[in-house]
Amino acid sequence: MTTLLSSLTYEGIPVWRHAQVLKWTTQIVSGILVVTLVVWFFANLANAIRDRNIPFGFWFLDNEYLTPIGQFYLPYETSDSYLYAFMVAFANTLIVSVIGVILATVLGIMVGIARMSGNWIVSRAALGFIEFFRNVPLLVQLYFWFTVVLALPRAREGYVFADSFYLSNAGLWAPWPTIESPGAALAWVALAAAAVFAGVTVYRRRLRRETLTGAASYPVWLGIGAALGIGAAAWLVIGAASGVAPFVIESPSPEGAFGRIQGGQSASGGMIALLAGLVMYTAAFIAEIVRAGIQSVSRGQRESARALGLSWAVTLRNVTFPQALRVIVPPLISQYLNLTKNSSLASAIGFSDLFSVAETMTQKAPTLSIFIMVMLAYLSLSLTYSLIGNLYNRTLRG
Amino acid sequence: MIDLAGVSKHYRMGTVEVRALDDVNLHVSDGEFVVVLGPSGSGKTTLLNIIGALDTPTAGRVSVGGRDITAASRSELFALRRQTVSFIFQSFNLFPGLTALENVEFGVDVAGKRGAVTPDAVLEAVGLGDRAGHFPHELSGGEQQRVAIARALATRNPVLLADEPTGELDFRTGAQILELLIDQASDNRAVLVVTHNREISRIADRVIEMSSGRIVSDGPPAGGKAPVSELRW
Amino acid sequence: MLPSARAEAWLRANLFSTWYNSALTVASVVLLGTVLWYGLRWVFFDANWSVISTLGGLMVIGRYNVEAACPGQDCLWRPQVSLLLLTALFGMGWGIAGGGLTKRIAIGVAVVVSAFALLPYGMDTMGMDVRLLLAANIPAVLAGWALARYTPLGSPKWLAISCVVVFLLILLLLRGLSQVPGLQPVPVTEWGGLMLNLLLAVIGIAGSLPIGIGLALGRRSRLPVVKSMCVVFIEVFRGVPLITLLFMSVRIVPLAFPENFPLNPIVSAAVVITLFSSAYMAENIRGGLQALHPGQAEAARALGLAGWQTMMLISLPQAIRNVIPAIVGQFISLFKDTSLVYIISLQDVVGISRAFIRGNVEFLASHKELYIFLALVFWVFTYGMSYVSRRIEQNLRIGER
Repeated sequence: MTTLLSSLTYEGIPVWRHAQVLKWTTQIVSGILVVTLVVWFFANLANAIRDRNIPFGFWFLDNEYLTPIGQFYLPYETSDSYLYAFMVAFANTLIVSVIGVILATVLGIMVGIARMSGNWIVSRAALGFIEFFRNVPLLVQLYFWFTVVLALPRAREGYVFADSFYLSNAGLWAPWPTIESPGAALAWVALAAAAVFAGVTVYRRRLRRETLTGAASYPVWLGIGAALGIGAAAWLVIGAASGVAPFVIESPSPEGAFGRIQGGQSASGGMIALLAGLVMYTAAFIAEIVRAGIQSVSRGQRESARALGLSWAVTLRNVTFPQALRVIVPPLISQYLNLTKNSSLASAIGFSDLFSVAETMTQKAPTLSIFIMVMLAYLSLSLTYSLIGNLYNRTLRG
Repeated sequence: MIDLAGVSKHYRMGTVEVRALDDVNLHVSDGEFVVVLGPSGSGKTTLLNIIGALDTPTAGRVSVGGRDITAASRSELFALRRQTVSFIFQSFNLFPGLTALENVEFGVDVAGKRGAVTPDAVLEAVGLGDRAGHFPHELSGGEQQRVAIARALATRNPVLLADEPTGELDFRTGAQILELLIDQASDNRAVLVVTHNREISRIADRVIEMSSGRIVSDGPPAGGKAPVSELRW
Repeated sequence: MLPSARAEAWLRANLFSTWYNSALTVASVVLLGTVLWYGLRWVFFDANWSVISTLGGLMVIGRYNVEAACPGQDCLWRPQVSLLLLTALFGMGWGIAGGGLTKRIAIGVAVVVSAFALLPYGMDTMGMDVRLLLAANIPAVLAGWALARYTPLGSPKWLAISCVVVFLLILLLLRGLSQVPGLQPVPVTEWGGLMLNLLLAVIGIAGSLPIGIGLALGRRSRLPVVKSMCVVFIEVFRGVPLITLLFMSVRIVPLAFPENFPLNPIVSAAVVITLFSSAYMAENIRGGLQALHPGQAEAARALGLAGWQTMMLISLPQAIRNVIPAIVGQFISLFKDTSLVYIISLQDVVGISRAFIRGNVEFLASHKELYIFLALVFWVFTYGMSYVSRRIEQNLRIGER
């Protein structure tokens, strides 16, 4: 045996000691182990489907779902198909995630900057916010916010702000633009694009000037001003030329049957509680990320920039912020992914997100099929976030 | 002590074949202080890594300390590194969580020479007796390099390899380090110093110049061996 | 400087350095004052905290001691003795470390737990025996300390062994044995309350660190097969919400086992939480490994350490040390995530409290009180963990740039 093995050599080295051989043996053995485990799992699953009559398949996707969905932003009727209902739920998750991400970023940056404030009380208050909200399970926070929302007055006795915002335990109603005609909608899109383009161009030019001359050139304010100015001018011109506004703002009013509020855009109580919980929870994490990012730009650098004669705002914009951003963005994106995944806790407070609709669907459709779809949906979201992260990294290098 | 016969190291980077070493023949005896000179990319670090068994050649035979290591097993290579060669790096590479003394002790332990060597004495010998309890970040660059040398010396290995040992030091500390290395050669060790600094080659017994993976010249320094005090930095 | 002058200087520097800073101070004092005023008024006058005292033990051990779980016996002593074993472990840690942070943690845990013996409940809901066993936590921590101090057990190795032994002992004690009279089995499905959260967290923490290290090393491996398997595992487990995984573990995984195979929901939850956390842990540790300067590994290799020795003795310990905050953050996350087991109908502290409050109409108006209390319970644990992590980090900063 020994002699046989010793005679097996590869480039003059006994095979069992050759790095290349060891490498492939490890790979093959571990590969076989994992593949066996996976095959065992799915073979058993397949057997169960066959022998125990466990339903599986995707035939049901075209059937009518025939179950109401609490709140929806894509138009939905109970006679719509399973597949479409799934998309409606997915859209709900997306909408909550996008709104949540925006609000959490704004709040997080505010708290993060407050945390670094030289003012002792402000900094301590921010610290208290961070330490409380990130250390308590999101589920408990959601239950709490849902209780708060439910404690609001009933729909007919709810709060009214400026005759157009209605807040009650049923949710929040707000004015919302509606599009009258497709032509006007197109004009609106073009108008928005032009305004954004003008704003960005002005911002860039002023920023370059600032970098070159070192004199404060107010890129942010001038950029926003340009965007708003172009937008308003274009609106007036289009309005005057066609007599049709790009969109009409519709306010909600309590004119429905039994005083129900109609028109505008609404967010259910569950959604408000969900957003409140998600935003506070994620903002606490984002605040820490922002603080760590800004502190990663060393004090010395900031001071030397100031010593060069750059003002505080110019230093922040041209020295501190671009460098801090490199440290901030990657963990920020992973917080966005967390927020999106955490929105699945909506099922605990009765908001119809992807997970809760899918869970309801399993009562009438094959669990296995539904959850394959759910996994794929969430994985596609996580993939999208990593793509954004990679793109960002590439722009940093490129 | 060190014998290289027809040693080559070729590898592919994409479609380009890189010849890091090309048919190198070299013999270094005990007690020799050899400086290997060459610009970056000339193959001098590859040469050092092959002698130190950190890298394997694609062709040729290598023997260190009388042992042929061309076809040595991994465990034989570990043994070689523990008991025959010691390394000194440009960036010191001390373990940041260990004190100066613990760094030296770690080297002794790995070489399996605990009891045979007193780490304190070695640290004393490089002039750091009073710094034993300090962590690397509390030491200056020259002191860190001296700790690294102490770690290498404490193993009592007969071959000492140094890769740009003065690269990150100012000239005075650099001179101290070179004196220490010369002492080792007179202690009958084979000392190989790799550098791109031509000035350092003046203090060597023997200078080997490398270019594109080949040895282009080999012999005593032009103008004879000079003491460290004569170096003009 | 006079104290009053110092105070004035402090105020000037931190609150009134500029006119807008002063304005900020005044505005935030007014805002915080208002919030505190109404908050405290609610806490002391309007809130009805009786929901907490009524829930009482249910929150701590769930339905472990109810008649259905433990017929004809009082099983309360079993979790209580488990707690004593746990505090004794803290005591051992204190005995080995000899003071400092470990001492404060050990004494703090014992004192806080014992303080529950003094709660002003009626004797019927919390009898003398229960109170005595709670108070016994102080002797327990001292016993652990003495054990470490005056017997050969006082070394980190023995502490590690004791941890494993105590963990198994606690599981045995809680589970029970049908052969032993007085130790009748309590079905695992009845375990609940904070006890369940802690149990799941301990298993998850103990399991996710080694698995995470394995995955991190696998992902850095140069072997493409090993690497890709680790990448797929990590990305899938990080890509989906924990509750979908928990849901699948009870609705889909059983299909792959023979019918009526006794799959235990608590075990499923523990496995899923551990794997989920491992994927995150792997990424933390990988980050730590990537941030390491390659020089030390090079030096270790040159000294003659094998690749795996370099990894285990040099690279990994430093990588882990550098990412301790991230690792503890992951532990905190894991502990918070144990509340998600509601999705598979386990009755952890949140689940059982909710079930109770929804079944009792008298507490319909006390939801807010309950959730604030639950938030505080979790906060005490998680904030404690992050405090300890910060202290460890400070102690380790010696020997670093």
